[in-house]
Amino acid sequence: MNKPFRLSLLLAAVLAVFVYLLAETVIVKIKTTDVRREPKFYASSLATVPAGASLEKIGDKDGWIQVKTADGKTGWIHSSAIATKKFDLMAMDKNMKTQASANEVALAGKGFNRQVETDYRARHGEVNYAAVDLMERFKITPAAIEDFLRKGRLGEFGGAR
Amino acid sequence: MNARRRAITGLVIFAASAFLPSCSVVQKGADVLAGQGKISEKDRTAIVATSQALRSTFADITDEEEYYIGRAVAAIILSRYKASNDEGLGRYVNLLGTAVAYNSDRPETYGGYHFLVLDSEEVNAMAAPGGYVFVTAGLVRRCRDEEMLASVLAHEIGHVVAKHGLQSIKKSRLVDAFKVMGSEAARRLSSDDVSKLTGLFEGALGDILGTLVERGYDRKYEFEADGLAVKFAARTGYNPNGLPDFLKTMEKDKPAGPAAGWFKTHPGPEDRLRLVQAQIAGLKQVPATLEIRSVRFDQAVKGLR
Repeated sequence: MNKPFRLSLLLAAVLAVFVYLLAETVIVKIKTTDVRREPKFYASSLATVPAGASLEKIGDKDGWIQVKTADGKTGWIHSSAIATKKFDLMAMDKNMKTQASANEVALAGKGFNRQVETDYRARHGEVNYAAVDLMERFKITPAAIEDFLRKGRLGEFGGAR
Repeated sequence: MNARRRAITGLVIFAASAFLPSCSVVQKGADVLAGQGKISEKDRTAIVATSQALRSTFADITDEEEYYIGRAVAAIILSRYKASNDEGLGRYVNLLGTAVAYNSDRPETYGGYHFLVLDSEEVNAMAAPGGYVFVTAGLVRRCRDEEMLASVLAHEIGHVVAKHGLQSIKKSRLVDAFKVMGSEAARRLSSDDVSKLTGLFEGALGDILGTLVERGYDRKYEFEADGLAVKFAARTGYNPNGLPDFLKTMEKDKPAGPAAGWFKTHPGPEDRLRLVQAQIAGLKQVPATLEIRSVRFDQAVKGLR
């Protein structure tokens, strides 16, 4: 291997790092969400992803982010479910919001967390957490929502506006 | 070294020096965020401590923390009110609310949106942070069609989206909480710290409930939630006139005596009506009320009639 060749290899490596920095990774910041086949909430799920999961962003459209999962599936996730720009910390001093978004993930599990809830519940037996758990357990399926919208001519099924 | 080689070397050095410092910072952040554990405990601690130190306002509360605050607020509301046991109505309100939430500016929250009818004749609606939305049977009974109920739920979703509940936490309390949390970066919280944090958590819940149940939000927050309600309802496909229609029923029935529930915690319907109607007049397209929706609304609320 001659020297110029080695140098251009090095240059290529530096460029690769640069491209890697530009590639955005998004991180799930809610308890759990789905990577959906289409950019809508009642589209079928390709994968269920938990808080902290990271996905490669490959595009976006109307508040939806197109992502690639670790096992190579491509689908859509809503922007309200993720923290963005993990690698764009270069923009840190320019944009505090970007930083806050990254912090969201660094702070996962800190602060007002399950431990604080447990301590609070021990002090306040009268507070009705059982009813909240029941409220949370009630789930609406994507199919039921689609049916509700379709029958009510709402959303994409809407007619005359 | 010939000129060509020198040029390439120069370029490489330039490129490397331009990106290397940020690479190291970025890589540290990346490793922590990705949870790969490639960085030292010391670095991790430094990053978390910096993040905590930067937190100062309600906007810095994470979605996960909002969830735990919201759960507690909801649990307190549910120790004061009984949930309705009308399953059909409960399901209908969840479908309706979820449809509107999906068309809001913040469709996904840490624990998701949940809707519940409270078994109370009082006319009231409340939303706890993170998406726990409550409407009383008395309020549902006052609605004449799906558009009206959709608008009321959209107003409450507006409070969640704009984080009005979190904004009612006293600033000094938040600053104190972030200070205690900052020490968590260096070590595990001591039982004394957890106890301190729980005390601040209790205080924050008191701030939120005082606003939700006793004092009501600042007028500007109510107007903002109305604006969001019109936007979200219309985006879902509902006639946004459901909100002014609902406000008109409230105007008519304003109690002469001491106010309770909605009347106590909301500004006069007249001012709200004026602003909402002006906003609707400015919409490019106003979806029409559909009979088909009114029919299913009547079916869903028949247990209350």
